[in-house]
Amino acid sequence: MTMSLMMIRRAMLIAFIAALIAVPWVVPALINKFWVSVIAEIMIWSLFAASVNLLFGYVGLLSFGQALYFGFGMYGVAIGISTFGLSFWPAFGLGIVASVAIALVAGIFAVRLTWHYFAIITVVFSLIFYFFAVSVKSVTGGDDGINFTLPPTFSFGGYTASFSNETFQYFFIFAAVAFCFFLMHRVIQSPLGKAFVAIRDNDTRAELIGLNVYQLRLIAFVMSGFLAGVSGALFAFFGRYASASYMFYHVSGEAVVWAIVGGAGTLLGPVVGTTLFIVIREVVSTHWEHHSLIVGVMAILVVILAPTGLVGLWNEWLARWSAREKVPATRTSLQSEP
Amino acid sequence: MARKFSRRSFLHNALAGGAAAGTANLTIMKDLYAQSSGPIVIGHHCELTGVFASWGYWHDKSARVAVDLINKQGGIAGRKVELATEDTESNPATGARKLRNLIQRSNAEFIIGSVHSGIMLSSLPIATELKTIYFSTGESSDVTGSKGTRYSFRTGADTYSIAASGVPWAYENLGKKWTMLFADYAWGQSTAAESKLIVEKLGGKVLASIPVPLDTKDFVPYLAQIPADTEVLLPAFIGPLAVAFYTQARSMGFDKKNIKMFSQSPSIEAISPQDIEGAAEGSYFFETFPRMLQAKDDAFHREHNKMVEVDDIHARETTSKRVMDKSHSWQAWEDLFAIKQAVETSGYKDRKDVEGVIQALEGMQMKNSLGHPQGDKLIRKEDHCGIIDCYISRVENGQLVVKKKIPKEELVKFMPVRFNLSTMPA
Repeated sequence: MTMSLMMIRRAMLIAFIAALIAVPWVVPALINKFWVSVIAEIMIWSLFAASVNLLFGYVGLLSFGQALYFGFGMYGVAIGISTFGLSFWPAFGLGIVASVAIALVAGIFAVRLTWHYFAIITVVFSLIFYFFAVSVKSVTGGDDGINFTLPPTFSFGGYTASFSNETFQYFFIFAAVAFCFFLMHRVIQSPLGKAFVAIRDNDTRAELIGLNVYQLRLIAFVMSGFLAGVSGALFAFFGRYASASYMFYHVSGEAVVWAIVGGAGTLLGPVVGTTLFIVIREVVSTHWEHHSLIVGVMAILVVILAPTGLVGLWNEWLARWSAREKVPATRTSLQSEP
Repeated sequence: MARKFSRRSFLHNALAGGAAAGTANLTIMKDLYAQSSGPIVIGHHCELTGVFASWGYWHDKSARVAVDLINKQGGIAGRKVELATEDTESNPATGARKLRNLIQRSNAEFIIGSVHSGIMLSSLPIATELKTIYFSTGESSDVTGSKGTRYSFRTGADTYSIAASGVPWAYENLGKKWTMLFADYAWGQSTAAESKLIVEKLGGKVLASIPVPLDTKDFVPYLAQIPADTEVLLPAFIGPLAVAFYTQARSMGFDKKNIKMFSQSPSIEAISPQDIEGAAEGSYFFETFPRMLQAKDDAFHREHNKMVEVDDIHARETTSKRVMDKSHSWQAWEDLFAIKQAVETSGYKDRKDVEGVIQALEGMQMKNSLGHPQGDKLIRKEDHCGIIDCYISRVENGQLVVKKKIPKEELVKFMPVRFNLSTMPA
C-alpha cells in the first residue's frame, strides 16, 4: 500500500510545524539559545521572501522593490513608538497600514508594466524612498536608524507579555508568520489565486477570457506589500530598531534569491531558500567574512541545476517516486485477477 | 527490512534512553557550574570590514594583545580570558545581529563595543535586554546620554566631552566666529551640535552649520557655502571623506585664507598627515592619546607602542604602512583592564553578579599603568563617561605636534552631568 502524495505532504507539514513549536525547548538543550532567535529571524525573512514569491511565483512579476514595503513596516513601528508614543498594537497596525498604502501607490504605476520594465520601476521606487529616508534624518535617523524601547504586547492585570521574553517573542513571530502563510495559501487556492496563475502563464489569454489583468496584478502587488510590511514590522520589534539601510534594493535582491533558490511558485519554497542562506551566513560568517561568495556560488548552481528551486526539485522527485510506486502496485493487482 | 518493536525491546530502549538523558543532564549541569570557574569570555564587537575597517584592524590587534597580557598576568580573578570577536561589517543592522551572536552563542559576559555610532545605537537595547555591559569606543554622546542605560559605559571621550575640553581652548586661541562643516550622520551631527553649544555658551557665534552627505565626492558646493568672515572652521569627517575634504579645501586655497581649521581626532585617525601631501598642514586636531610619544613620555606609553608595534612619532605599524587610530583603539585595550578591575573589585562569579560590576564601574578610578597607558582616568558615576586628559595638536611638517594638554580637571568644568544613568534599574 502506498501513501498518496497528499498524505506525504500533509505529514511533512505537520512534522515541520511540530518541529517549529518545539524549537524554544529543544534547540537550547541541543545546540544553543542563540539559534532560537536565528530561527525567529528566518521566519521573518521567509515571510519577506514569500512577498517576492507571491508576485513572481504566482503572477509572474519580478519585483526588486520589496524592501520599500519592508522598510515602511519597520519605520511605521519605530516612528509609531519612538515619536508618537504608540503602544504595541497601534504601532504594529501603523507599520502594516503604511506599507500597504505605499504598495498601493507604487503598484498603480508599476503594474502597468511587465518583465524588465516592471523590475526597473520597482527598483526606482525603492531607491527614491531609500534616499528620502536617508536624507530625512530627523524623522528616520537615516543610516544610523532609530532604536526604541519595546512596549508590552499584552497586559492582563499584573501579567505582562512582551518581546523581552524570548519564548513569547518566538511564538508571536511564529503565529504571525504562520497566519500570513495560511492567508497566502487560501488566496492561492481560491479563484483569485487561479486568476493570478492564469495571468502568470499567459496574460493575453487571461485578458481574452475576461480577467481584468491590471486590477488583478494591482491586488497581488498590494497583497505582497502587506506580507513585506508585516515582516518589516515584525523585524522592527525583533531588533528594537529600524534603519534606512533595510530599504535599499540589495535587501530586495536577497529575497529574490531566497525565493528562487527555494522554489518560486511553491508555498514553502521561500522558507527553504531563506533557511538555507541564513544558516550558511550564521555558520560561516563567524569564521570567514566573505561568506556572501558561498551564497553567490550556491545561487548560481541551484538556478542552473534546479531551475524550479529546491522545493520544485523535491516535488518532482516525490512525483516520480509516487508514480514508480503506483505502477508495480497496479500490475500486481492486474496479475492477481482470475 | 523494517525493525519491529516488542514490549521487551521497547523497555530495553526506554531504559537506555533514560540513562543517556541522565548522563546528558549531568553533563549540562557540569557545564553550568564550570562557567563560574572556567574561562571568562569577553566579546569584541569590531569593525573588521566596511568603512571603519582601517580602525577595526587596530581595535582587534589592541584587544588581542591586551588579552594576551592579561592572561600572562594571571587572567581576571584567576580565570583565563577568552576573546570572541565578531565583525559588524560597519553596518548597524549586521552589528545588532552580531551582538546577539556574541552574547548568546559565544557566551560573552562583557562587550568591548563598536566605534560606529549607528552600530552602538542599534546594539545598546539588545545589550541592555540581555543584561550585558557594553563599552562604546565611538563618540556619539547618545550612548552615554539620552539613549544610555545602566549597561552602557565608555572609558574614552564622547562628542560632549570633546567639545567641553577642546572648544574652549580653540575659542580662546583660534577665533570666535565658527562654521561647522560635518558628515551628515550621528557622529558628525553630534560633533557639530555639541561644539555649537559650547561656542555660544562662551559668547561666540556659529555662522553656519553645513551638513555634507556621506557619499559626497565633490566638496566644492559645500566649501563655497562657508561664510567669508569665518575665523574657525570645524570640519567633522572620517576616513576617505576626511582625505577628500582636506585635499579639496587645500586646492581651493583654504590654507591661504585666514581661517583656522580645528578638527576632532576621527578626521585624522588611521591617516598620516605625511601621506596626504601636506593637505592638513597647519590644521589643529583634538587627540585623546597623543600620536607622538614625547607628549606623554612614560614607560607605559612606550611599552604599549612596542606591544602593538607602532613607532613613537607617526603611530605607524612597524611591519606595514598602516597608521593606528590611536585616539580610539586604546579603549579596546583599556576597556579590558577596566573590566578586570571591576570584576575583581566586585567579586563577580557569573552573569547573576553583573550589577556588582556595574556598581564597581560607576565612579571607578584607573591609574596610569600598562593597563591604562592613556593615563589616569575616571568613569563618572552618573553618565558612565570617561573623564580623561586630552590634547590639542597641530600638523607641523607632517607630524601631529601637541600644543596643549587639557587635564581632566579642566574638562569637567564645561561638562556638567546631563543624564544620570546610575539610578536606572539594572
